[in-house]
Formats: sequence, C-alpha cells, structure tokens
Amino acid sequence: MPPAVLSLDNIHKCYGANEVLKGVSLTAHAGDVISLVGSSGSGKSTLLRCVNLLETPDSGSIHLGPDRVFRAGSGPHQRPSAEALRALRTRVTMVFQQFNLWSHLSVLQNVAEAPLRVKGLSRAEAFELAQDCLDKVGAADKADAYPQALSGGQQQRVAIARALAMRPELILFDEPTSALDPERVGEVLAVMRRLAEEGTTMIVVTHEMAFARDVCNQAVFLHEGRITEAGDPQQIFRQPQTERLQQFLAASLH
Amino acid sequence: MLENPILNDIATLAKPALFNIYFALASIPVGFPLAVLLAVGKCQRSRWLRWPSSAFVYAFRGSPLFIQFFMVYSVMLSFNLSHWKPMGIDWLVMHPLFIGPVVLVANTSAYAAEIFYGALRAVPKGQIEAAQALGMSRWRVFRSVSWPQALRLAWPAYTNELVFLFHATTLVYFTLPVINEQKDLMNKAGELFERDYNAVLHYSVAALYFLVISIVIFRFAAWYHTRLNRHLAPAERPPAPSFKPRYLR
Repeated sequence: MPPAVLSLDNIHKCYGANEVLKGVSLTAHAGDVISLVGSSGSGKSTLLRCVNLLETPDSGSIHLGPDRVFRAGSGPHQRPSAEALRALRTRVTMVFQQFNLWSHLSVLQNVAEAPLRVKGLSRAEAFELAQDCLDKVGAADKADAYPQALSGGQQQRVAIARALAMRPELILFDEPTSALDPERVGEVLAVMRRLAEEGTTMIVVTHEMAFARDVCNQAVFLHEGRITEAGDPQQIFRQPQTERLQQFLAASLH
Repeated sequence: MLENPILNDIATLAKPALFNIYFALASIPVGFPLAVLLAVGKCQRSRWLRWPSSAFVYAFRGSPLFIQFFMVYSVMLSFNLSHWKPMGIDWLVMHPLFIGPVVLVANTSAYAAEIFYGALRAVPKGQIEAAQALGMSRWRVFRSVSWPQALRLAWPAYTNELVFLFHATTLVYFTLPVINEQKDLMNKAGELFERDYNAVLHYSVAALYFLVISIVIFRFAAWYHTRLNRHLAPAERPPAPSFKPRYLR
C-alpha cells in the first residue's frame, strides 16, 4: 500500500451549539482520489476546510505523511502558528466552488503568485511553472486574459492550475462544478479525471455521482457529521449498507 | 502691470497659488500611507490596535478642520517657550508651512482611512480565502490581494478626498499667522479685494485657479482609475469621469 499522505484523526467541529463534525477519521494514501458525498449540511465542506485549517477543528489531529501538523484541544497549540499554517498550506492546496480567482491579476499572474511569493521562486521560474500548469488544464492560450473575461469552466480550470502550481501533495476540491453551467461541468471534470490518472492525490466534495463512481477509488458518505459508510465507490453505491446512503442515492441518482 | 484686470489678477495670484499647491503636495504623500495604516488598524481583531485607530479617525472626522487648525496651533504655541525654543526647533515647528501640513495630514488621513477601511471590508472574502489557502501570510494576503482590490474600490471616493483636501488648504491662513509675503490664494484675493472692493473679479480669479488645479487632479484620477481597472472587460469598466461639455441630454 502506498504511504499515507493525510490522516485525520477524530476531527470535531462545532459552531456554537451546532456540532457539525462529530469525530471524523480519514486516511488518504498517495494516489487516492476520495469523494466526499452527502446531503447539504452533512459537514462535508466543513471537513474539507478543516484539512487545510481554513476552519480550526475543536479537537482531533491532522498528520501530513509522518508529520503532525495540527492537534487541537491540548494546551497552547489551539491556534496553529503562522509557520505551521504556511507549511501545511503549501503542501495541501484547495479549489473552491466559486473559483475565487484574484480579479485584478491576469490568469498567468494568478497561477504564478503563490509560487513566487510563498515558495520564493524567481519570476522566471514562477512564470514558467505557471505556464506549464496552464498547459496541463488546457488554458495556456488564456494566460494573458483576466478572470472576468473567462467562462466559469475556464476560471475553474485556471483555479485548478493555481492549486497545482504549488506542487502539492494533496489537492482539496470543494464542489468544483456546482457553480458551473451544465455544459461547462464536463471540461472541469475531464481535467480532474486526467489529474487522477496521473496519480494526483485528491479529496473531492462533489454531487457528481458519476465522477465519484467512475474516477474516485474511494467514496466517503457523510451524514450528520459522521462517516456513515466508506469504501470502494462501485461497491457502496451499488450495494449501500445503510438506510441513509440508500435514501441519498435514491434522491441523487433518480 | 498688465492692462487687462483679469490677466493682472492671474499674474498676481500665481505665486500665492503655489502655497495652496504646496500644502496639498506636502500633505498627500504622508496622509495616504497614514490613512492605509489607520484603515488596517481599524480592521484588526485586537482592540489595542483597533481602538486607537478608530479614536483617531473619529476625532478628526468628527470635528471641523477649522477648529483643528486653531487647536493644534494653540497647543503648539503653549509649548513654544518651554520646549520648542530651548530645543532650537521653534523656527520649524511653529511655522505655518509646517503646522499647516501637519493638521491637513491628520484630517485627510482620517477621512481617507474611513474610505480605505470600507474598501478593505468590501474585498470579496473568497479571494482572501484563496490566498490563505495557498499559504500566504497575513501581510502577503494584504499585499497581493486585499490592498490592490481595496484601492480599486476606494479610488473614486479617494479622488474626492484629494480635491476636498486641496480646497481645504484655503483654511490654513485663516487660522495660522501670515509671515511676510507668504500668502495663499485666499489671503491675496482678500488683499486685492480690500483695495478696490471688486469681489467678483478677485475671488473669481482665485476660484479659477482652484478650478484649473482641480481639473488636473480629476484628470490624473480618471487616468489612474482606467489604469487600475484594465482587468475588467470594457463593458464592465466603471466609466471614467468625463469633462467634455454636453449640450444635449
């Protein structure tokens, strides 16, 4: 079995009295493509945001490879240090539902900014790397355009290139196709499928059941803040063991 | 002396205009960064950083500029014999060319801080999150994302502040002593008025100077506005202010 890239151990997260995550543990090995599925409010986006600490878990720990990058609920490490955040986030990057490209920067600058400013690459290196990443997502011809001039699908592909440019060990996708026109969904999924085939480790929150079934090698079904079922997507989607997943599948597959 | 009274006034008021321009040019380069600092201070979670910035902004936005000139001048004057003279810096710190910009800086930075503060808060949260998610430090997020976007949002309102500041320079010599022939447009126009009581002529020419310099500021602001918004598709670009006469509406 390939080495573990990420392990989450017993992650809890509350917003006030609302307990969104009730102890989630999850391991991603190198090359894994894991889909997080579940109805809205099940905590899947919150879980994803806990992985790169956009949300700070109330308890639990996070390991990247052998390094513990976060442990909550024990003494002074409650709020991760700036250095720890930087270290984590250069290794785990994220793609958002709303793309969140920086609107004042060109496509190429969007992709090159973090390698340039966070990793300290030279301008030449950063722009070359950015161009390569744009090539990979099929947006090389848009390098000099600004985000506003692009379609949603193009913006999301650029956002994927931006996440790739950090050469991360793991990429998180938070409903990457939910804000797209139906005819644009395919081009983004195609890029993600290619990344998966190249062995990129990814965790994908998605409602695209076909993608979760055909591309992901693992599916995780979250319900009310707990992992209710997990495993080979072919298997658990075909023969769901729990009533919750049966209901969810019935509603989402039609 | 020129024959034409208007040309004559234009020539007479040229040097005084330099004083108004000086007051504005001396205040803007200091007021701008100070405003950014205050705006950032107001955005902080720590009350020890937020409170002083908010108090400063409140004090200088909440009181008339005219009174601020009086207050600063009298406070400075009360320290003159005990502090400034013994330190040998009274020639500098009591000079209107020094106190004027000091008060204008405080005033303009307070107003501009509020503009920048609003703009910083209006930067799309998702774009800030995207920057954080790529490992950028708080300073880096500010430098790469929040500030460039905030400046774009704030620019039209800040342009207004620049013009107001320039017009506010007329208040300097209403409160601070005029030294020798160091008179600004308002002093000189007032002096000319007292000679022949031709208010329309002299004050109109003084106003003409303000109009001309204001249009320079507007032009610069519009040019920079367009430059800042290169990234928007032409259809979405906010129209730059236009000064062409429109005869038909």
